[in-house]
Amino acid sequence: MADLVTTIKQTLKDVELVLGWVRDPATGVAAPARFHTEEEAEAAVFDSTCVHNLAVHLPRLKGRRLGIVAKGCDARSVVELIIEHEAEREDLKVIGVGCGSILDVKKIWRRFGYGVEIDDRGDSLELGGERGPREDFLARKCHGCLEADPDIYDLFVGESAGGPAGEISGGREEPHPLSAMLEDLAPAERRAFWREQFSRCIRCYACREVCPMCFCRDICIMQTQVPHWAGGEVNARESEMIQHIRVSHLAGRCTGCGECERACPVGIPLMLLMDEQNRAIEDMFGYRAGDSLRARPPMQTFSIEKDLWGDEE
Amino acid sequence: MNGETDRADGGAVNATDADRADLKLVAFLCNWCSYAGADMAGTSRMLQPSQVRIIRLPCTGRMDPLLVLKAFQEGADGVLVSGCHPGDCHYNDGNYYARRRLELLKRMLAVRGIEPERFQYTWVSASEGARWADVVQAFTTDIESLGRLGATVAGGGGG
Repeated sequence: MADLVTTIKQTLKDVELVLGWVRDPATGVAAPARFHTEEEAEAAVFDSTCVHNLAVHLPRLKGRRLGIVAKGCDARSVVELIIEHEAEREDLKVIGVGCGSILDVKKIWRRFGYGVEIDDRGDSLELGGERGPREDFLARKCHGCLEADPDIYDLFVGESAGGPAGEISGGREEPHPLSAMLEDLAPAERRAFWREQFSRCIRCYACREVCPMCFCRDICIMQTQVPHWAGGEVNARESEMIQHIRVSHLAGRCTGCGECERACPVGIPLMLLMDEQNRAIEDMFGYRAGDSLRARPPMQTFSIEKDLWGDEE
Repeated sequence: MNGETDRADGGAVNATDADRADLKLVAFLCNWCSYAGADMAGTSRMLQPSQVRIIRLPCTGRMDPLLVLKAFQEGADGVLVSGCHPGDCHYNDGNYYARRRLELLKRMLAVRGIEPERFQYTWVSASEGARWADVVQAFTTDIESLGRLGATVAGGGGG
């Protein structure tokens, strides 16, 4: 990754630190890192195990001059954070990378053993010497990929992916298998499905912590006593409530980066909720979070002419 | 109603009078139009379903979707929101913002398995007492035919 290392070094002349990835020697897959010096930047990598959305750090580092290595989906979060004034465009140097889709490392490890050697050649995948169909091991976030290349960047590294990675992962138009499953459930079955899912929740709040758009941390009402929206008991009923607080607060903000579901230690399909809401928002308002720096968030405005859902009579 | 209820436990039962009386319905009404409309229905001695609990809001623009989520969590079988007709908001545009939120909420409740009939929003002006009586009766009839929401969302904990 000589190109990436050079670019980060060049960026470091202008910024305090750069958010990127290094290779974790223990597992051989990428781990998030902060580069402060040219020496540190030597270790920078980008490959198909760079799953993390590093934009989550931007609100925490607001006011400092930063560089950030961003895939297409990460850059959508950067855009949305700038719209929400959680990051300043002029403080940021976005190093765009063309992403050819990301692998679900946990899935690979479950199948082939922890730390198995992953040899990804873009069109094929070798796992510990065995050939695996690459599309079987794509990250959940790649389903419905909008743009593999970042929309905004100051410097671009590597080759342009030239379109959505979704073409690899089944295409944007095709609903995720879980969405199709949900579609077929009767209301009572849906309630039972979600109760079962949320019965596993341990209230670790990883979904919130890993979400770039969940930035009101010290006053998050998922945990406040006044007002007491959700109880402290850990059970399916309260967990479903807190998740729907989150879903509701992410209306028009969620860019579908998939980090909530990836971070969930008990495998609750949170992307299913986010996908459904994002689809509804696109259908109702023609709005997709992260599309444009000039966009007006849909819940902060209205249209007298177009918003006619309640006027059936 | 011979309404077969779609219980969370999967068993379909016939709704009895007692079941119907047990229904908990919440109506959030804006102070300026719908609350006055409901008041007018009352003073005109129009019949209104007794299962409906009315909560007065300054404006539907005050409708935080969380109020609805919480109502369902605490055992409501149906939630109705009513405000001034679009264009007639006392604060000019509160109900325009509300309409976006309420419609999105309706769609997301369906994803969770809460039937669209259980969450309705509508517009009733201060002079429409008769319309309010119709709206709230139709809403109640809808929920009666669906029955109690059941333990899945509203009741009990479960680990």
